[in-house]
Amino acid sequence: MNFINRAIKNVTRRLSKTILLVLTFFLIGNLVIIGLGISNASKSAKILTRQKMRAVVTYKVDYDKVYRYTETIEDQDELQKFYENYPRVKVEDVTEFLKDDRVRMANSVSSNMWYQDENNSVDFVHLNNTREQNMDENQGQSCWTDINGSMVCETYKEPTFFIKSNMYPGMIEFEDGDYQIVSGRFYNQEEIDNAEMVCLISENLAQNNGLGIGDNITLAVDNLSSYAKQSGTTQEDLESTFEIVGIFSHNKPLTPDSPNYEYASPYENPDNMIFMPTTSSYMAQLTYQQKQYDYYAQMYPDEEYYQNPDNRPSLENMEKNMYIDSVTLLLDDPLNVDQFVEDYQSKLSQFTSLDANNDEFNRLAKPLDTLSMYANFIVWLVVINAVVIITLVTALTLKNREYEIGVLLSVGASKLKVIAQFFIELAIVAVFGFTLAVASGSLISREIGNRVLEAQIASSGINEEDDIGTYYYNDLWDTDYSTKITLEDLTSEYEVTVSPLIIAEIYVLGLGIVLISVIIPSFMIMRYNPKKILMNQN
Amino acid sequence: MSDILRLENINYSYIDGGYERHILKDLSYSFEAGKFYTVLGPSGSGKTTLLSIIAGLDTPKSGEIYFNGRNIKEIGLHKYRRNEISIVFQQYNLISYLTAVENVLLAMSETDNKLPKDRKTVAYNLLERFGIVRTKADRMIGQLSGGEQQRVAIARSLASNVNLIFADEPTGNLDTATEKEIIGIFKELSHDFGKTIIVVTHSDTVSQMSDQRVLLKDGKMQKL
Repeated sequence: MNFINRAIKNVTRRLSKTILLVLTFFLIGNLVIIGLGISNASKSAKILTRQKMRAVVTYKVDYDKVYRYTETIEDQDELQKFYENYPRVKVEDVTEFLKDDRVRMANSVSSNMWYQDENNSVDFVHLNNTREQNMDENQGQSCWTDINGSMVCETYKEPTFFIKSNMYPGMIEFEDGDYQIVSGRFYNQEEIDNAEMVCLISENLAQNNGLGIGDNITLAVDNLSSYAKQSGTTQEDLESTFEIVGIFSHNKPLTPDSPNYEYASPYENPDNMIFMPTTSSYMAQLTYQQKQYDYYAQMYPDEEYYQNPDNRPSLENMEKNMYIDSVTLLLDDPLNVDQFVEDYQSKLSQFTSLDANNDEFNRLAKPLDTLSMYANFIVWLVVINAVVIITLVTALTLKNREYEIGVLLSVGASKLKVIAQFFIELAIVAVFGFTLAVASGSLISREIGNRVLEAQIASSGINEEDDIGTYYYNDLWDTDYSTKITLEDLTSEYEVTVSPLIIAEIYVLGLGIVLISVIIPSFMIMRYNPKKILMNQN
Repeated sequence: MSDILRLENINYSYIDGGYERHILKDLSYSFEAGKFYTVLGPSGSGKTTLLSIIAGLDTPKSGEIYFNGRNIKEIGLHKYRRNEISIVFQQYNLISYLTAVENVLLAMSETDNKLPKDRKTVAYNLLERFGIVRTKADRMIGQLSGGEQQRVAIARSLASNVNLIFADEPTGNLDTATEKEIIGIFKELSHDFGKTIIVVTHSDTVSQMSDQRVLLKDGKMQKL
């Protein structure tokens, strides 16, 4: 009749006490399961939604900080100096990010609208829409001020190609599958570093013009307008020839069913999209830009900017000349985003930041966070109450069992064995109570969890239509790569279930409650004087 | 006959209402093995205190207790209680959620003494020897009469195979017939099985049946 047997017999033969305690643990267990279920559902809904989002982090100039800082500067000269060295993202920071295993690629995309060469050696892919049919007609005026200060206007000529260039090899657009390389390859780091004149064109543009990998395509960076001519720019200065290194297909065709199809420009047709390194694009525009600079330097001899040779456009000062205010990083896993931001944020300069587009995500996830917080609060409240209640019940029971303790000690049982017996008795009861709670808790926690979420959303004032970020990255100009997520995306992932983890948690928690609850009664047992058994009966 | 238990200069006192009350004063006495003793004394004379000290449930302020020539402090009070003695209480002190036989097995499970392998059979036999048949042995304690419960308590005291048995008013709650029956068992245990029985009692009937009557008065013991 060891202490384990005694504990089992005590539990099975003092049924009314056992049932009361099982009931207590059952109620505690249900509350804990509901709390843990809701808390876990909230957390996993956030994680699952996070996983659905693109793993992007934007390294950018923090204009809010810049604004707040400039507001504090009173000295105009100092302010002028600050503006001359306006904060920008640092290429060396991006180079550092790219060394991190979590970073798959970087997008520092710039866009330009270019023209066919003078000989129309490559014909753009036609939409045959209303706008295209009227291209030769007077569609509008481009105006500027000439050297004499007079306003000069001439007919606007529609660009035909949309140039998307990146400072780094690979692009998120291709990674996502909206653009796919069907032959050839993407440009590489060496071609970027050397500003080699390479590009990728669309499958349709290649087919229409009988072009293939290794062929050349000549493009004009601008229209030879009077504005260009005034700086001495020639058609030759505007044109550059690129070697085709890749041909791509895309899944965003512009068709007559597309909205505003009739008014779309040729360059808005993804078939007329051309990808090339930023350095190559810059190189193509360099002669034109230098001639413009020289022209203005001559026109404004007193202007400090034009008298500083360091400001003359060149491949070396491209970065300064282009002004990069953001670079988007694609990471390997959406769940790494927050940690990545935390790892690097403190190392950045004062006016740049890493933005994981968390603000909106957190705003939409607020009802879930609040729910999780309350659920955790309830769990702890219940656990603390449970410890108090079970401790009191055990302590009171102990008072009635002093006689039994005395008997056990008088026959030579050790105090530790007596404590162990009490612990096992409670543990058996707790296991029974929690097992019943697991069965019932799985049924009621879902219902309660859904109702409290509905109530929480209603009280938070967030609309279902609210979303975070934008998803129009295939839009020509948009460089926001964050994923559009709605509140419904978050709530649809919210499912209160009693997972094996929760079941394990509840048993561990239950045993913890029992263990803590036995501490005070244990002290009482340790202090128990076995002589009492003789004194009490007298 | 050799001494099984020897008390040397035992002193015991406690503070009551700011005054020190001396219960046992330089008490010395020797109990011989295989004899049936009764300790008598008026209320408040310290009989229960004496029993708790010699049973290792309490410790004296000063003085030594020797069991078979070894100081019980040396043996260890817990070990002494577990392996050398057993106690029979006035209120039987059986565990209510166990059956009679389980109560006997309880004592067997705690001792380090050598016991037969088939403990359950031994327990049933012990109970049967004291008139608790098998059907009653499997009953819960509450379903037995006072006399039966005391027999179970005596069977339990023997289960751990000890030679020294203490009893505190063991017949206090029993009728005269049952009282005689129980004392008869104690006599049998001492005379036929060589057990030393020390019974603290008020009862003249009980004391008349013992081998040696001892009076506890003014903190000292004296043979009657």
